[in-house]
Amino acid sequence: MTVTTNKSANRNTNKEAFLNTIASKLGRERRTEVQRPAIQEFIPDSYGPLTTDDLVEILKEQCFFIHTQVIESTPEILQQTLSDLIEANGGGTVMLSGDRRFNEYGLAFPDAAVWEETAGRVENIRRAESANTAIVFADCALAESGTVVLESRPDQGRSLHFLPAHYIAVIERRRLVLRSTQAAAELNRRIQAGEPVGSAIQFISGPSNSADIEMKLVVGVHGPLRATYVLI
Amino acid sequence: MSLQTDSRNFSERTTDGLGDSFMRSAVGSAQDSLKTRRLSAATALGDWEQWRNVGQLIRQHTLENLDYYLEQLAGNIERQGGHIYFAATKEEASSYIRDVIMRKQATKIVKSKSMVTEEIELNRVLLEAGCELTETDLGEYILQMDDWDPPSHIVAPALHKDRRQIKRVFTEKLGYTGDETPEKLAGFARTVLRQKFLEAEVGITGCNFAIANLGAINLVTNEGNGDLTAAIPKTHIAVMGMERIVPTLEEMEVLDNLLCRSAVGQKLTSYITVMGPSSAGETDGPEEFHLVVVDNGRSDILGSEFNEALQCIRCGACLNVCPIYRHIGGHAYGSIYPGPIGAVITPLLGGYDDYKELPFASSLCGACTDVCPVRIPLHEQLIVHRQKIVEQKRTGTADRIQMKAASKLLSSPALFGKTLRFAHSASRMMSKQGRIVRGPALLQGWIRSRDLKQPVRQKDSFRAWLEQRKGGSEQ
Repeated sequence: MTVTTNKSANRNTNKEAFLNTIASKLGRERRTEVQRPAIQEFIPDSYGPLTTDDLVEILKEQCFFIHTQVIESTPEILQQTLSDLIEANGGGTVMLSGDRRFNEYGLAFPDAAVWEETAGRVENIRRAESANTAIVFADCALAESGTVVLESRPDQGRSLHFLPAHYIAVIERRRLVLRSTQAAAELNRRIQAGEPVGSAIQFISGPSNSADIEMKLVVGVHGPLRATYVLI
Repeated sequence: MSLQTDSRNFSERTTDGLGDSFMRSAVGSAQDSLKTRRLSAATALGDWEQWRNVGQLIRQHTLENLDYYLEQLAGNIERQGGHIYFAATKEEASSYIRDVIMRKQATKIVKSKSMVTEEIELNRVLLEAGCELTETDLGEYILQMDDWDPPSHIVAPALHKDRRQIKRVFTEKLGYTGDETPEKLAGFARTVLRQKFLEAEVGITGCNFAIANLGAINLVTNEGNGDLTAAIPKTHIAVMGMERIVPTLEEMEVLDNLLCRSAVGQKLTSYITVMGPSSAGETDGPEEFHLVVVDNGRSDILGSEFNEALQCIRCGACLNVCPIYRHIGGHAYGSIYPGPIGAVITPLLGGYDDYKELPFASSLCGACTDVCPVRIPLHEQLIVHRQKIVEQKRTGTADRIQMKAASKLLSSPALFGKTLRFAHSASRMMSKQGRIVRGPALLQGWIRSRDLKQPVRQKDSFRAWLEQRKGGSEQ
């Protein structure tokens, strides 16, 4: 496929000199059209065909290794499952994204804070920082790496996934794919078709962690201390 | 800190490293655990060698068309209202960033770990400008609190410190009163740094890969500090080496898989984020976004015999298998880029005057080349460096005389035989209890940290023994 350069971009002399240096070091003129190699053809497929149940098994196994609890639930009992999890996290304030799926699944958390465009930067960050549990819906999930993928939106800020002490992501089974390859391909398809994507695309695999002290794993550093996925 | 982390000579630095038994045991066990984790994560992917081929293909394609992809990136960042600045030198890069911060009259800065910001001496420039700067990666924060101790590993910067040292630093500098368990130490840092994030006016991050067709950067982290740095402050400044770019998310995905598995043995790290300037209606993330693209010597590598070194994705896998790194540690390289990749790129970025010894800090075993996820022929590049250094007569006079003598000796069977015959008696003055303890410079380097047996008497030698056997079998 061919990707064309955005010719309307502001040109500054700094940039031109910089890019001309590169072209001259490469021993050629500047390039204005380039053919990407078709890398997908070379990527090995080590799994073969998989059903959703297979994907769920792969996800559960991986989540064991990344210290993430997986709860299998259904739309009918989702409210109860989430309420139990909030309680298990020690109660406290809950913060939700403004995802319309909270309504669609008939979920109600009367005292919960919500990330909303009208609240503005300072207030949204304050709400997230004082929340004990965040609940979000995954845009898609990757079985192999135990990952939820989320895009930033006016009703779902970037720091919502990091500031609350506990993190719950609801995953609809039909949004489960094998690995990052499929998610990246779909996102890139949208980008090349000119469809909007969030200004941040976050691939989140379990709670935050660090091994900076003597290579000993500490779970819960700057982001959430604990992460739970609820499958429906 | 600049590229150079220690201005003493190579021999003094390695002597320090070899004498630091704590550091050596910490590095040894870290290497062992990272090696095992890398191997199991690589095996789990299936057909790892083919993945490495794809990684190499992507990196080479991007380098061959670097001007094109950087121009595309610039257009896409500006289209979203972001700023992109091309800095030919480290001075241009750090002054641009300082000027952005001054214009905003900001003083509270949070940073997430980035090697290129070390290279452009950003911290020094910002501290001199009166900024209150906080490194938020746990390892980097520990180093900052310990009076900006230099990092010793690309991925685990505080690898050379143990929990007791870290506790002492926190106690002295921050009034920490807890115990020395990693959980307590990390929990304390979380509380202190959370406040820094909330107060910060500007966030500075590195960039694992820029995505040309999207106009965004990709950060690969585990702690979550990179995301907070780019989410909470109103201004985000990202800094990248000019070669760290991919055409689309599809190439990024392949490289992130190779990176996470090679660096820490994870399938994906906890947080892999693609980010750019905030869109309309989003209430956090940067209102003002700057990407600084740094050359600082890289274009001189482009198209040279060292071109492949620019394929590097900074995973650190070559450090984790290197027998030399294991013994001398990261600080002995005197560069922010240690280990085999450091020995290749440091002399290219910093010149042979200061770094001519680094290409010789290798046994040429090739373990680095075997693990490199993007197939940089690291040990072969070290040989090319050596050739150039010798051709430019940069090795010491004593070394040159000894090498000349050795080449005479080894290329003449007659002379070699004669020398062997007298080796035992000639080395008597230099030996003690069957071991050589003194000798010319070339020997010194070896016997400083290893045993060297005194050559045996002529009659006990292998050759004499073989002659005797031959005689015996003829009877």
